[in-house]
Parts: sequence; C-alpha cells; structure tokens
Amino acid sequence: MALGSLLVLGAAHAQKVEFEEFDLSNGLHVILHQDKSAPVVVTAVMYHVGAKDENPERTGFAHFFEHLLFEGTENIERGQWDKIQAAHGGTGNANTTDDRTYYYELFPSNNTELGLWMESERLLHPVINQIGVDTQNEVVKEEKRMRVDNQPYGNLFAEVKKNMFKVHPYRWATIGSMEHLDAATLEEFLAFNKKFYVPNNAVLVVAGDIDTKQTKKWVEQYFGVIKKGEPVVRKKYEEAPITQEFHASYEDPNVQTPMIVEAYRTPAMTTKDARVLDLISSILSDGKSSRMYKKIVDDKKMAMQVGAFNYSQEDYGLYFVYGIPMAGFTTQQIQKEIDDEIVKLQTELVSEKEFQKLMNQVESRYVSQNASVDGVAENLATYYMLYGDVNLINTEIDIYRKITREDIKAVANKYLKPNQRLILDYLPAQEKAEN
Amino acid sequence: MKKILYLLAGLALTANVAQAQVIPMPKPGPAPKINVGKPETFTLPNGLTVMVVENHKLPRVSYSLTMDNAPYAEGNKKGVANMTSALMGTGSKNMPKDKFNEEVDQLGADVNVWGSGAAANGLSKYSGRILELMAEAALYPVFTQEEFDKQKNLIVEDLKSNEKNVPSIARRVKNNLVYGKNHPNGEYLSEETLNNVTLADVKQNYDTYFVPGNAYLVVVGDVKFKDVKKQVTKLFGNWTAGKAPSIAYSDPKDVQYTQINFVDMPNAVQSEISVLNVTNLKMTDKEYFATIIGNQILGGGGGKLFLNLREKHGWTYGSYSSIGGDKYVGNFGATASVRNAVTDSAIVEMLNEIKNIRTNLVSPEDLENAKAKYIGSFVMQIQKPATVARYALLTQTQALAADFYENYIKNINAVTAEDIRAAAQKFFFVDNARIVVVGKAADVLPGLEKTGIPINYFDKWGKAAEKPVTSKPIPAGVTAKTVLDNYIKAIGGEKAVKAVKSIYTKSTGKSAQIPAPIVFTMKVADHKQLVDMTIEGYGSVYKQVVNDKAGYRNGQAGKEEVTGDELKELQASAVPFEELGFLTDAAVKLTGIEAVNGTDAYVVKKGTGSYYYDVATGLKIGEAHEEGAGAEKQVSTTYYSDYKEVKGVKVPHHVIMNIGLELDLTVKEAKINEGVSATDFQ
Repeated sequence: MALGSLLVLGAAHAQKVEFEEFDLSNGLHVILHQDKSAPVVVTAVMYHVGAKDENPERTGFAHFFEHLLFEGTENIERGQWDKIQAAHGGTGNANTTDDRTYYYELFPSNNTELGLWMESERLLHPVINQIGVDTQNEVVKEEKRMRVDNQPYGNLFAEVKKNMFKVHPYRWATIGSMEHLDAATLEEFLAFNKKFYVPNNAVLVVAGDIDTKQTKKWVEQYFGVIKKGEPVVRKKYEEAPITQEFHASYEDPNVQTPMIVEAYRTPAMTTKDARVLDLISSILSDGKSSRMYKKIVDDKKMAMQVGAFNYSQEDYGLYFVYGIPMAGFTTQQIQKEIDDEIVKLQTELVSEKEFQKLMNQVESRYVSQNASVDGVAENLATYYMLYGDVNLINTEIDIYRKITREDIKAVANKYLKPNQRLILDYLPAQEKAEN
Repeated sequence: MKKILYLLAGLALTANVAQAQVIPMPKPGPAPKINVGKPETFTLPNGLTVMVVENHKLPRVSYSLTMDNAPYAEGNKKGVANMTSALMGTGSKNMPKDKFNEEVDQLGADVNVWGSGAAANGLSKYSGRILELMAEAALYPVFTQEEFDKQKNLIVEDLKSNEKNVPSIARRVKNNLVYGKNHPNGEYLSEETLNNVTLADVKQNYDTYFVPGNAYLVVVGDVKFKDVKKQVTKLFGNWTAGKAPSIAYSDPKDVQYTQINFVDMPNAVQSEISVLNVTNLKMTDKEYFATIIGNQILGGGGGKLFLNLREKHGWTYGSYSSIGGDKYVGNFGATASVRNAVTDSAIVEMLNEIKNIRTNLVSPEDLENAKAKYIGSFVMQIQKPATVARYALLTQTQALAADFYENYIKNINAVTAEDIRAAAQKFFFVDNARIVVVGKAADVLPGLEKTGIPINYFDKWGKAAEKPVTSKPIPAGVTAKTVLDNYIKAIGGEKAVKAVKSIYTKSTGKSAQIPAPIVFTMKVADHKQLVDMTIEGYGSVYKQVVNDKAGYRNGQAGKEEVTGDELKELQASAVPFEELGFLTDAAVKLTGIEAVNGTDAYVVKKGTGSYYYDVATGLKIGEAHEEGAGAEKQVSTTYYSDYKEVKGVKVPHHVIMNIGLELDLTVKEAKINEGVSATDFQ
C-alpha cells in the first residue's frame, strides 16, 4: 500500500461514549455510563483535592488521605475494606495527583450496589483515628523509599517542581514531606477531611454493565443522606514569568550516569496550547521516527535515552526534555542537540506528511484511551472535574484536529524559549570517602 | 478511679453509636452469566497456529506472535538473545529501518519484534498494512555490523546505568542464586559475556529459534476471520518450517537449610527481601488450584503478608508472594521492600506467615474470600476478547484440558482448607528457604546476625564474597600489637598464657541440621591437634588429627590424608594461642572495626584468616577463614563467648562454629596442661 492512499482515509469511528449526568441535592455530581459488553462495573469517586490544596507546612496530606480512607468506616471495621472487596470478587485502588484524588472499585456486575455502598461509607463517615494515622505514616514512608529514594532518577520530578514553582503549591512533591506528616496531629487530619471530603467537592462515576434506573435509585439511597459541606474555596497562585535561564543540580546515589533536563513552565491543561505541546512531544520523542530519538539516539548514537513530555495540570503545566548520554558524550553535547531540534520547531513548519503522522497518532491514542471500562470511568471523572466538560471524552479529539502546523510553530516559540527555562544537572552522587 | 474510667468508656461508646448511621452492607445480586468464548483457529503447514477473536466494539486491532520454545542457556555468550531482540526491527530485506519506522509512526501504530516474538496494534482501518509491516520485520530481518555495534553499546550503557539500582541487582542475584549460573533462569547478562557475542551468533540465534514449529499468532479486534486467514496465509505461508531445539536442564536444588544470602549495596535505603524456593507446579497439577488460592491467602493483595508487614507493622508499602504455574521449573517467592532498620524483623515475620500457612488450616472466611476474589476476577475478565485469546493460547501451550476454563469456577470452589495446607507444605518452604537480602550492610547486618539464621555473603553478581566490611575508623594509637597485647592481658596475661602447653575441651553441641545430641572434643598442643565429633546413635562422624609429621581427616567421605600447604597451615595454627605468634609476625594487620553479632570488634587479618577482638573487653569473639577460591569459595566462622577462668587463663565456654552447617557448642570440660597425651595425635 502506498503512503499517499493512507492520507485520504477518513477518521476512525471510535465508539461514542454515551453517558448521563446529574447532581444530587447535596452537590454530588453523578455520571453514569452503560456498557454491557462484559459483566463488570466500576464505581469511582474523584475528589477535587490534591497536593496543591495542602498547607505548605503539611505537605503530603492529600496522598496521605488516599491511604487513610482505606482504614475503615463506621460500618466497615478496620482491616475489612480489602476483605469485603475480595469476598465479592472485586478489586480496587486509589491514586493522588497535585490536583485530585481518585478512588475506585471494579466488581462483577451483581455487586454494583456494594460498590456504591463502600464509596458512600468512605464519604459519609470514615473512621480517622490515631492507629490508622500511625500505621499509614509508616507505610507512606516506605512507599517514598520504594518509589523515590531507592530508584534511579527517582527524585527527578520533585527536583524540577521545586525549581520551577516559587509560590504555587505545585512546588512540592505530591508524596510530600515526611517531617510534615510526622508533625501532623489527628485534629489536622480530621479538619482536612471535613474541608475537602464533601459531596459538593466530588464526582461519582458508575460505569459498566449497569441497570441505569436501579443504579440511580441506589445512588440516591446511599449518597443522598450525606450532608453538603462548606463550599471549597481555592486560592489562585500566580507565578512570575521566568525571564532568564537558570541552573540547578541534584545528586542521586542510585545513578551512575548523569541526566540533563530542560524544563519549561507551560499553561493549564484546559488550554489549546497545552494540547499543542502534546503534539510537540510526539514530534520530538514519540516513536522511532520522532526527531530527537532518530537523530540523537539512532543516527548519532550520542544518548542512551532522550525524551520530551508535556505534564499538564489544572493550573500550570511543565514541559520536560531530557537526555542520558552514552559513554564518551557529555550532557552539554546532548543539550546542544536537543536545543537544535527545538530551534527547528520554532523556525520551520512541520511538513504535511509529518503533520498527518501526528494526527494518526492522536487518533490511535484516542481510540485506546477509552478501550477499557475503568479507563472510561476515570476519563469521565477527569473531564468533569478538571476540564469542566464531560463531553470532551468524545470531542477532545476535535480540538487536536483543529491544531495547525502554524500553531505548532507559534507555541514552540511562545513557551520553549531558552530564557524561560531551568537546566537541571541530575548527577551521580559523589562517593563519600568514609561512611 | 477504675470505676470512673469504665463509666467514661461507656459514655464514649454510646455517643459513637448515636452518631453513626448503621447502613447494612448490600447483598449481591444474581451472579452474572458467563460464557467462555473460543477463538476461530487455523494452522499453516509450517506449524504456525493462528487464533482470531473478532470484536467490533472499537476500530482497532492487535496482533501477537509468540513462540512456545523451551528456555535455553546462553552460557558465556549470554546476551545473544538480547542482541537478536535489539537488532530485529533495525532493517529488513525489503525495507530499510528508517522507512519502516517512519511508516509505523505514520500509521499511529505500534509494531515491535524481538527474538522470540512480535506484537503490533493500531487502528483497524490499517489492519492489513500493520500485519504486513510486522511480518516484514519478523520474517526478513537484516542484521548489520553497524547496528550490532550500536545496540551493543546501548545495552552496555544500560547495564552500567543500573549498577546502583537496588531492585534491579536484587532481581539478578536472586535468580542467579536460586537457579544457578548455568540454568536459563539463573544466568545473567554482563558486559563480559556480551563481548563474546558476534554478529554471526545473532544470525544463528535467529535462524535456530525464530521458527514456526511452536508458534502462535493471536489476532484480536475489528477484523474478519476470512480476511485474516487469507492475509496470514500469504504473509506467513513462506516462513520456513522448523522447530527450536529443546534442551533439558536439571532442576536447581534448594538450599539444605534456611539461610540468608546477603548482598551489600551501600546506597540502599530499603532492603529488598525475597524468601525463595524452587517449585515444579504445573497448571495441570491436581494441587494447582489449592496452591494459587493458598498463595492468594498468604501473599495476595490484602493477604497475610500484606496485613502483617504493612497494615500491622507499617514496615513496607506492600509484601506479596508469588508462585508460577508452568510446564517449566519455577520458584515460590515471598517479597518485601522494607526500610533498613526493620530488615531482620520483617524476615522473621515473613517466615512466621509461611510457617503458619503450612501448619494451620486457613479460616473459612479467608478461604471463601480468596475464592471469591479469583472467581470475581475470572468473571470480569472472561468476556473480554483479549482474555479469550489468552486462555486459548494457555490451553495449548500448557497442555490444559479442553474444558479447563469451563471448569475453572467449579475447581476453585472445590478447594478445601486441608488442600491448601498440603499445597503449602509442598510448595512454600521454611526449612530450606533461601532468603536473599540486598541492602546496606552497615545498617542491617547487626540485626540479621541476631536472627540466628546463618548468613552467606555474595557480591552483586551472585558470587560468594567475604562479609562486607562496614568498618569504623581505628582510634589513634591502636595497632595490631596493642589489640593482641590487650587480648592476652584480658585472658590472663603473658606469663599465664605462655605457661599453657596444651588445652583440652569437651563440649556438648546441637545443630539445626543434626537431630541428635553431639559431643565435640578438641585437644591442642605444640603444633598438634585432635578434633573429634560424635553424634549420639552414630558414633564418631568426624575426626581430624594433625601432628608434627602428618595429618588426616576421617569423615563420612572416608579417610583422607592432609598434606602440603594445608598441612603446614593446620600445624601452624595448632597451638593453644595463635596470638603469641602473631605478635612477631609482620604479615598480621589491623584492618578496622566491624560489628560482629552486634558488638564492635577490632579486625586483625593474617592471610585468609580474620580474627575479631571485642573493642570493649579485648577478648576474642570470633574468627573467620576462607577456603577455596572463586565461586567455590567458602567462609567458615567461629564465635566465642562465655569466657571462664581455667588455671588462670580465660577460655571461651560457648562456641558457635559455622562450617556449612552450624554447631552450637557448650564447653562442659576444659583442662589446661592435662588430659592430653602424645597418643591422642596418632
């Protein structure tokens, strides 16, 4: 098949994600999505609370809650959460970002009601006590050691954030400070719960093999009794623009090879520019024919790894470009190669053919991201809570399709300027002479 | 006072009840009906079996090609398969690499090929072209020296970059120790073995192993069976028939007694712990279901290990166990990453949980929950097209009964608590467990030594090593001579020590590996030595004699003469107090301070021997001797304590010897300058 014929083919007809949404009188937003292709139901709640809502002296609270709220409720004894889940053939978990916290269960479809009950228990009356706090305090420390402190390049993200944000709470790591968690009192945890874990700060998603009418009844029955909380008021943090390139370095005892990192501050996830930056990442490092990979890793063999990614969040984004040199090359040489590619984006339009490749990649990603019912559930919650439009699950692809080659050039010029960036030298730790 | 507290407690309780809303847990609805789907299949004359699961829900397709070849060891060319995988996809007969990569990306697809398979996925509107690209890269690769050199450099750099990666080192070492360096599962890639690999090796590896004889192509998605059949026949019909060789490897052996295998990583902030033993569990075994349910109860999410180590103690983010079910040999493993300070406690609790499931029946509640979890996950998965394909593939490759998955729920439900205990006894070991710990010696060794579990040391490549030196600086003015002088002073002074011509001790002993009481006799005099060990019911099991002319040992392997250098060494050390000789020996060096069983000790070295003297008391608390070399190298250790005076000289009355097996000796009789005669040494 000749390449030319590919270009004229129409867009993929991904299944449209049907959903309905409504509010309970306590302010809880509810989204239902029916998919009867497998006997699975997801019950999930996303709370609009993340690391950025924390007191700067108590960082790590949001993630800590993700642990604490498995400890038990008035009707689910401590240690029973996982057992109840397992006893009904289900699984579940939770995760936390700087912007939100997400809890979910997957059950065979005859346990929809149970999933709703469990999530309503978590919101209505979780038991937050000293035993739970003390245990999870230790567990979270182990999580940090495992995911961050014992991993090569594990502190990369934390170091970039620390340098890129001066006033915005994105400046601290999501997992937070262990000293802050040690210092926190039970009263502070209870206050955090009261402030953020309220129905008017949450969205409930029920997706999968459900009977819509019955599900609505259960939602009303289990969540309707929960009292509305005080409105959550968020402070706006405005970062002063970066106007001069600045340098930082970090030493990691788990690495033997340095990494060079460039980081740029970018706009919120809801903007068109954030999506343009996604495309720019694809141009630079998505696939073996991407520009940076092909040139720096494949042709010139200067780097072991290069990558570019756009990390978009609710208030700001971060654009990272990084490279790990091969033996015989320096991080400065890698940086020069990376910078040449960025300049090229700023000065030349991408070709029609390369642009078509981007559109195909976008389309392929779009079809995959709604392939599983748990993926759909999380996307529905995210589009509602962080983008303010659930229907983006079906229409976001149109925003990408409207991006032009000129937009790509303009956005590269607007955000990826040398005077707006951090250069981070991520280095192997110097051996200490004596331990 | 007590009464008031009761009252208060009562009040608090009622207050709670009044606040809480009792909302009963809902009951499940009727169980969903399930239907175990089957793919449509066909087989090409060259042996390739094709399985197609049509599913038109989303406009996408996935292909996966696997080869059910037997595992093979690569020996001193370990890395051939890695290189074959790295080189595949870097150019093929009809398409240069750049054109291939460009087109794959252009389609928004993923196409990957490697030494034992291939996979691709993308939008179904490009399904035909995606399969063509995959077939091109998989069946017509071109291997060039230029790509070879480049990919090799990348692998070398990657190896280097992981040399301080604690979890990655732990994976390498544990496989190496469990399976041995000559087993396919135990050998590891290193720069050294990679350097032995040539381009010709790669070509040969591809020709030998990339063959359709045991190959399966699974197609799932928005495609039509008849189109797939036509296309696959066209693209894969020419694939030259052939079967990969199947070499049998002898199964690795478990350790003879439970032991810690320790690897020092000074940068570790957590210890990687694995409790391991070899298993041969097949999916067709009658114990299969009981074993996986037992493993779920022990080490699944929310299992006993998790509840103990994480929820009760807060030592880890998670502790789990796993066991393979496969036609080839595998292993059981319970694992945890724990902070340095609790490494020893975590090991003790992990062993307790394994012991527990081997000894006690699981509770009806735990049993029901574990079954429900398995069945629930089966029910949720079974209707998915990818699952249908996966199960069909397993049915073939693991030689399962045709109705294995139809009977799955029934077989899970049939498992009893007794079945689980029997399976645990068969597959989860505590007495022959290899406990691999990769962590920071300075922080964790003192605790590990206190567990009483024998410790063997390895480097990060799995080779036997000396106990890591976590030494502290030596205070100014302390030298080998002052340490030795102090020791002699501590045991009675130079005059008393020099007056000792012979020592006789008779001890009773016990050992975890020997079920009966032991009597251990030792006599030493002026370069002569007698060691005799008897076990009740067996008589003398080991005797070693050294005199000024000759030596021999008589053990279970028969009588053996000791000659040459070994004899000279034994003669040299056959004196009541070696330290008297050390004082004038220039080869004796003080090397540092190390913790021995939690006590700081000066380390004095002579040749391959290390002698440890308590910093606080001056007494000798241990010695260690290396024997053999390379991978065969072994270290024997002896620990001394409970010093008691005998004729003005202090003699240790509690001795622990570790010579492959551990002997715990209590001295019952100690004599100086008596009880020894020349005839003892014949």
